[in-house]
Amino acid sequence: MEKYFDASYIWNSIPVLLPFLKVTFLVAGSSIVLGTIFGLLLAAAKLSSVKLLQKLANLYTTIMRCTPSIVLLFLVYYGVPALAENVGINLHSIETAIFVVVTFTLQFAAIMSEVIRSAYLAIPKGQFEAAVSVGLTPIQAYRRIIFPQALVVALPNFGNGMIALLQEGALAYTIGLIDIVGKANLIIASNINAHALEIYIALAIVYWVLSIIIEKFFAMLEKFFGKGKKTLETT
Amino acid sequence: MLEIKNIHKSFGNNEILKGVDLAIDKGDVVVILGPSGSGKTTLLRCINFLENADQGNATFGDIQVDFQHVKKKDVHAIRQRVAFVFQNYNLFTNKTALENVTEGLIIGRKVPKAQAIEIGKKALDKVGLSEKYDAYPSQLSGGQQQRVGIARAVALNPDIILFDEPTSALDPELVGEVLQVMKNIAAEGTTMLVVTHEMGFAKDVANRVIFMDGGVVVEEGSPHDIFVNPKEERTKKFLKRVIPEDYTFYI
Amino acid sequence: MNYQFLLETFFVALSGVPIALLVTVVALLIALPLGFLLALTRINKIPVIHHLAKIYVSFVRGTPIIIQIFIMYSSIPLMLKIIFEKYNINYDIYKINPIWYAFIVFAFSTTAILIEVFRSALSTIEKGQLEAAHATGLTTFQAYRRIIIPQALVVAMPNICTATVNLIKATSLGYAMSLPEITLKAKVAANVGYNYVEAYIDIFIVYLILCSTVEFLFKRYEKHLSKFKAANA
Repeated sequence: MEKYFDASYIWNSIPVLLPFLKVTFLVAGSSIVLGTIFGLLLAAAKLSSVKLLQKLANLYTTIMRCTPSIVLLFLVYYGVPALAENVGINLHSIETAIFVVVTFTLQFAAIMSEVIRSAYLAIPKGQFEAAVSVGLTPIQAYRRIIFPQALVVALPNFGNGMIALLQEGALAYTIGLIDIVGKANLIIASNINAHALEIYIALAIVYWVLSIIIEKFFAMLEKFFGKGKKTLETT
Repeated sequence: MLEIKNIHKSFGNNEILKGVDLAIDKGDVVVILGPSGSGKTTLLRCINFLENADQGNATFGDIQVDFQHVKKKDVHAIRQRVAFVFQNYNLFTNKTALENVTEGLIIGRKVPKAQAIEIGKKALDKVGLSEKYDAYPSQLSGGQQQRVGIARAVALNPDIILFDEPTSALDPELVGEVLQVMKNIAAEGTTMLVVTHEMGFAKDVANRVIFMDGGVVVEEGSPHDIFVNPKEERTKKFLKRVIPEDYTFYI
Repeated sequence: MNYQFLLETFFVALSGVPIALLVTVVALLIALPLGFLLALTRINKIPVIHHLAKIYVSFVRGTPIIIQIFIMYSSIPLMLKIIFEKYNINYDIYKINPIWYAFIVFAFSTTAILIEVFRSALSTIEKGQLEAAHATGLTTFQAYRRIIIPQALVVAMPNICTATVNLIKATSLGYAMSLPEITLKAKVAANVGYNYVEAYIDIFIVYLILCSTVEFLFKRYEKHLSKFKAANA
């Protein structure tokens, strides 16, 4: 009788899958960097006194928050080339990865704008006032006093955002990206769908380990940057 | 040394300062008294531009400022000469006590680090915190934090130190240590402008007392003039509320 | 841009909303009480269970939901087949409506999320509340029902809103289970004439309306709850 489930398959497929983590990391990493920059601009817009900028930034965040990743992926993948066609630019030979990065940059920026905004607001105004009172210029006050404190506040949320981005990134295979999930589906297809479960479990293990590593890394960062803060007991 | 004329400040439709004049000479220890909402804190905050006054002008030594047309470099210059002690201390929570004191020196005034550290340590010694150079604000009591705040102001060697209700956020038993530090500084000849409810300090240390109410200066004079011989009704009413009936001032 | 298709497909996409909502509601109905109970086991450190709960939450948060769906969809039918064969139940597992799998997968995932939500909400409730309740003669059960849970809900509400919106968005992955929800229905319609752009614009709009409505309702409810809080402050 044919074996429905072969546990050794799980361990055997991991070495085949791991090389494709490179793609996953490259795409996720680019999205994080670009998304943080864009998110910073959005946060600045939300905190500015120009009502229009505020409204636009908030509208953007709401739209991103209400759109499933897979829908955004397809919208970007089909929609952007279609728009470009109207202007006469041919985008059909662009790497799938670019579309993936664009999609997740847009998404991550929305998350980061909230993380940055709330971290900034968490710092009491008195810190800024004291800084300028001892003679720092506003820029120096932000750089040396506000930013370091805001960073510590933002760190846990940034870590969570990163982990969430990694998970959402698993959907990139749907537009054809051959990252670790894409490769897994290729293997399954070539096996005529046999042993699919084992490969999915292998994927789950890889992602799980990655997430735990990121969690521990950020916990370490929080400890390092949080000098001077009373440590809270973790339940 | 510092002269303020006709300062006005409103928050929205609420006019808090309705034309206040103030003159401070070198070595003065001036205490501003008054009920809450009288504008004392706002006045202080306008002097070092934490608030932007709507109207009026100020002369600070050789610098002249019109509050309606303030220049950034004047603000910066004045902040170099004026130090501020906050009600909520506002110590930089991500820096040690010593770093708090030296921050303004190193970054604000470009003092070399080694020299700044020396000045900082001396200032912390002066307020009685020689063992706490490397403590973070979260590790200090309220009274200790405020003393660091005072050291931070003193280290800048300013022309005048502004105190905004320095003891109001402290537990009663910690008030004394901070007042003592302030007394010591006053005795050294520092020019101080203090908003406070501590009548004892006003009586013992100040050489001038100003009573404000409703955004204007109601009465001013020496402690003896204000506490023993108040002239205005409003002053008398205020003093009655804050000082027990049978208390006699010995000045 | 095929505008007629755009309009037609909008309603096709809209027709998937009931299923998406049904899955969301059922998942929440299971996940809310279950998540709350497991959160309690975490806080009170009930042996064995709280360790298992910790691993469970770590797994759900550490793996992409699409992979959880793949795993469940590959394994549950298999397990059911074995159970059916053992007990001689004559039911074709391939006839089981995919919506049942959806219920299981999304309840599984949302419970884990809510465990963390309730854990942090409960930690903000002072211990004194339970002590005071005991002191006035309430049993622990009554204390939780009348004092602790209402307070925890108020604190947790924004996060429950986020979890609900995320759940609705996650139903878009129901295609992996052949669930006839919003995305799948519109995609199927689009496959006919390759009108993908129009289809995805419609899908996008439907989710936008759905999620903003849910957020709006939650905000209204939060406001109502905060009035309740202020009255008793």
